[in-house]
Amino acid sequence: MKVMDRVRHSMMGRSFFRAPDRVTTRDVAAGHWANFFLHIYPVKMRRKEISFRYSWYLGAISTVLFGSLVASGVYLMFFYVPSPANAYGDIINLETQVAFGQYIRNVHRWSAHLMVLAVSFHMARVFYRGAYKSPREFNWVIGVVLLLLTLLLSFTGYLLPWDQLAYWAVTVGTGMATYVPFIGDRVSEILLGGPAVGASTLIRFYVLHVALLPAVLVVVLAVHLWRWRKDSMLDMERSEP
Amino acid sequence: MSDQTENEESPLAGEAYTLTSEPKLIDGRRVLGVVPGKPSTGESKDLIDEDAVMVWPHLLVRHAVAALAVMLLVLLLALLFDAPLREIANPNLTPNPEKAPWYFAALQELLAHFHPLVAGILVPTGILFGLAALPYLDRNAYLKPRHRKVAITAFTAFLGIWIILTLVGFAFRGPNWGWVWPWNEWYGEL
Ligand code: HEM
Repeated sequence: MKVMDRVRHSMMGRSFFRAPDRVTTRDVAAGHWANFFLHIYPVKMRRKEISFRYSWYLGAISTVLFGSLVASGVYLMFFYVPSPANAYGDIINLETQVAFGQYIRNVHRWSAHLMVLAVSFHMARVFYRGAYKSPREFNWVIGVVLLLLTLLLSFTGYLLPWDQLAYWAVTVGTGMATYVPFIGDRVSEILLGGPAVGASTLIRFYVLHVALLPAVLVVVLAVHLWRWRKDSMLDMERSEP
Repeated sequence: MSDQTENEESPLAGEAYTLTSEPKLIDGRRVLGVVPGKPSTGESKDLIDEDAVMVWPHLLVRHAVAALAVMLLVLLLALLFDAPLREIANPNLTPNPEKAPWYFAALQELLAHFHPLVAGILVPTGILFGLAALPYLDRNAYLKPRHRKVAITAFTAFLGIWIILTLVGFAFRGPNWGWVWPWNEWYGEL
C-alpha cells in the first residue's frame, strides 16, 4: 500500500491516474470517473443489486466468457486457414504440433458452449426479477439481439474445423433456411454461397465468425452496458401492496 | 436544515456555505464545511438494501471472484475434455443421425413433428420477436412474483418446454431420429 501511494504521488503517477487521493467517498467516485476501464461501471449501486442473489453475476460472467473467446480465438487464427484443403489439417496440426494448441482449442470450445448457457441463464434471471420493466424495456430488447448474436457466433464457428460433425450440423442448420416462403432458395444460396455447404460457405462463415459478428457484438454490448450503467440508480421499486 | 437557509437568505450569502481553501479533516474524512463534524454518509450503520454503495470496491470484488471462478471452470474443462474432432468433412457420407448443435436441438426436434415452415421459420422468428416484445406486452409494474403470476407462468412454461425439447433432441434421439435412451446409446454431440 505504501509503495502504491508513492507511485500515485509521483509525477508520472499523477499524470497516469489523474485522480485525487482516495480520502473521501467523493474522491473514490472521482477516481472511478477518471478511469477508462472502471467507467463501464456505475459509480454507485443499490446494495441489493450487487448481491449474488440479484443477478447471479451472469451478465458479468457472459462478458468474461466473451473475453476468453476473443483471447483464445485470436491464438487459433494464427494457425488456421479457412479453405476446405487446409482447415481440417490445420486443426490436426494445432492439436499435435502447436504449443498449447489443443488446450487453447479446448478453451475456445468450452467457453463457447458456456457462453450460450450463461447468456440464456442471464436472460432468465433478468426475467424472473422483473428487470426488463420500465425504464429498462429497451435494454432487454438489446439483450435479445445479443442472444441472437451469441447463437450466430457459435453456429458460424461450428463449421470451421471442417470435420463431419461441423459439416453436417451446418447442413442441417442452414437447411431450415430453404423453407423461408418464396425466397427460401435465394436465402440458402446467400448463406452458403452455393447450392450446398462448400468452400464459399467456409469463407463466409469464417469472415462472419472472426470479423463481422464479434465487431457487431462488441458495439451492441457496449450499448447494453452503457444503458445498464445509466439505468442503474433509476427507480424500479413500485409500491407493492 | 435547508428550510432555514431558504427562508432567511440566499444560500450563497450564508456563512455555512463559504468554502475554506483547506478542507477540514474529521475522523479521517474531508468535510467541506457544510455539515459540521459528521461524515456525509450518515451515522446509521444499518445495512439497508436500497442504500447506494460504491461499486468500487464492493461490486468489483464480487465480479473479480465470479470471473476467477468461471476461468477456473474453463481451465478444468479444457484440461479434462478435448474438443471433438471427427473425420474430415465428406459431402457424400451423411452421418445418421444428423445432429444440429445442441442449442438448436429443440428446433430440430420440432422439425420432426411439424412442417418445416412452422418448425424452422415461424417458431424461431416468433420466439425472437416474442422475447423482444415481452417488456411491451407485460405492462404490469409489480416486481414480486406473487403479483406477476401470468407472466411467470407463461415464461416458465416456455422455458420448460424449450429445455425438454433441447434435451430430447440432444440426448434422446438416435439413427433416423428414432428414440434412444442416452444411458444405453449416446448420440449427443458437443
Ligand atoms: C452477449 C450477451 C450478454 C452480455 C455479455 C450481457 C451483459 C450484461 C451485464 C454485464 C449486465 C450487468 C448486470 C449483470 O451482471 O447481470 C447486464 C444487464 C442486463 N441484461 Fe444483459 N447481457 C447479455 C445478454 C442479455 C440478454 C439475452 C438479455 C435479455 C433478453 C439481457 C438483458 C439485460 C437487462 C434487462 C439488464 C439490466 C438488468 C438490471 O439493470 O438489473 N442481456 N447484461
